[in-house]
Amino acid sequence: MTATTLSTVRKSVLPQAGDTWASIAARELPDMAEADAVSGLQSWNLHVFMRAPAPEGSPRAGNPILPSDVIFIEPPLAAA
Amino acid sequence: MYDLIIRNGTVVDGSGLPGYQADVAVKGNRIARIGKIAETAGKEVDASGKVVAPGFIDPHTHFDAQLLWDGAAKPALSHGVTTIVPGNCSLSLAPLKADHRMRLVGMFNQIEEMPYKAFREGVVWDWETFSEYITRIRKGLAINVAPLVGHSVIRLWVMNDAATERTATDEEIAEMQDVLRECLDAGAAGLSTSYVDMDETLQPVPSRYADAREVDALASVLGEYGRMLQIVPEFYDPDLTIARLDQLAELSIKYQIPTTFSPLFVNSDNVDAVDKVMKRVDEQFARGARVWPQVQTRPIDISFSFAVPSLLFIRFPGWYRVMRFGSPEEIRAHFADPENRKARAEEVAEYKDLWPKLVLRQVKTDANQKYVGKTLAEIAKERGVTPVEAMIDLSVEEDLDAHFLAADMGHNNDDKVVSLLKHPRVHIGASDGGAHILSFSTYGDTGYLFGHFVRDLKTMRLEDAVKKITSDTASIWGIPERGLLQPGYIADIAIFDPETVDRGVERFVQDVPGDGSRYIRDSHGVDTVIVGGGVAWSASDGYQEARGAILPGARDDQPELVAAE
Repeated sequence: MTATTLSTVRKSVLPQAGDTWASIAARELPDMAEADAVSGLQSWNLHVFMRAPAPEGSPRAGNPILPSDVIFIEPPLAAA
Repeated sequence: MYDLIIRNGTVVDGSGLPGYQADVAVKGNRIARIGKIAETAGKEVDASGKVVAPGFIDPHTHFDAQLLWDGAAKPALSHGVTTIVPGNCSLSLAPLKADHRMRLVGMFNQIEEMPYKAFREGVVWDWETFSEYITRIRKGLAINVAPLVGHSVIRLWVMNDAATERTATDEEIAEMQDVLRECLDAGAAGLSTSYVDMDETLQPVPSRYADAREVDALASVLGEYGRMLQIVPEFYDPDLTIARLDQLAELSIKYQIPTTFSPLFVNSDNVDAVDKVMKRVDEQFARGARVWPQVQTRPIDISFSFAVPSLLFIRFPGWYRVMRFGSPEEIRAHFADPENRKARAEEVAEYKDLWPKLVLRQVKTDANQKYVGKTLAEIAKERGVTPVEAMIDLSVEEDLDAHFLAADMGHNNDDKVVSLLKHPRVHIGASDGGAHILSFSTYGDTGYLFGHFVRDLKTMRLEDAVKKITSDTASIWGIPERGLLQPGYIADIAIFDPETVDRGVERFVQDVPGDGSRYIRDSHGVDTVIVGGGVAWSASDGYQEARGAILPGARDDQPELVAAE
């Protein structure tokens, strides 16, 4: 195949083991204050933030992030 | 001497080339000759005025359970579908340990709306491995089956309860790879996974607890066999869909495997969102990836009654909770309470444009028959209530057996949909055949393709439509010797009248084990369906021979070969 340049799409990451909003914020948005970074991540990832909570006692209780989640690390791009 | 000759039809051979007049002769399970045939055969079909095409291939179904009691996947076969792909969305019925059966039944019930009672009364649980499941469904199989194995099921097999608690260890991933190999050796067509589905407790299915390392390891096994990876992305959001298709593209290139994601819908609120996704698909194909979006032909219609937890209410937690977890008595009591009625009406008030358009389809009492066919707006006006109140009242009066239709809920912009269906990098599929049986009919998408887009709107050539659902599908999935009408190919053939082919009116029938019901659509205009050289169904005589095969099937499980002339 010929080399093809992919267009720019919204930046995202996949969680690492044990990731929380705070750990992703610290790793991906180091220049932002933690509270702002966490708040930003949550607002850009409503598909995770608004997820129904895990049952009490579940290993996932208190952290809605799943290992397979796509986590956006920036807001939606402006329409071209 | 031939076994079967189809005479005087227009052969639309699946290549996309113009149709032509010819006879088709079948010997054994293969097409022996196409052209003017002077000889006679033991069986002959007159196809005058009709199209003779390869049998249709439906790449996204959930017939896993139905195949245990119905080897024809009725009524899919009668629509001309000769090959189905079950096991999508991370869910298959094998491999499955005895201890996990009811858990998987719960998932099928939640995700595909297959009733618990159907499993209890329609299924003899006599398998655990994938190979044993294949042996089980082969008996009386009238339709070809290219089964996917579900990632959630493999995870459950290896990790037990931990499948919905954590990521897998290296040892567990290696064991999953071995299990997947066993399934592929037994005839699985690939692996399916899901990033959106929930189990019966409304918690994520096991596949969603897998990290990228696990998916990569399983894709590497698919690479050993060159088989398909299917995923369900977060289809409601184009950015998420693009992120998923980028993941697929990397795996496709790294392991040289075909991948597909389904569904890709045209969103009524943002019809151009699919363009953004398709731009990315085009870019990834240009890199050499194979990331096939599946697009369904039919618009989204949802039928429902208050007796089942309809998809329509999944965005309204108060409604969904009572329908999902309440007994019929509890549901009736809930809606009979004035306070609950008020709360539920307020919960759905934001969607005030939706409810007046709903149509009452079916009731059981004589008193309410006069409302059947009317919209809730019309009924509400006659009764002096709001449309939502009318819906609740009718449901209570009918003992929850009032059926409503929400038509054209999306994917109904014909111009945009047909532009997708014609796109060279779109895979027509996502019928969901055999699933959502209490919300809508998943049968007849091929009839809708020919009737609506080819004949009525004239926005698609007949030959292109046939190609999209036959040879294109066979090529995408690597299904050899099917999808084309040419000598030497397996004789899977659909004969239909292009002037009348269509899907029938949706109707609610009671034909699921355990006195269960489902919505179905009969075929219109389909004359004869041939599978493996035998007449599997005809409009005149119904279901007949059972010559279905497992595709690609285990190496020692291939159909008997008969040489072409």
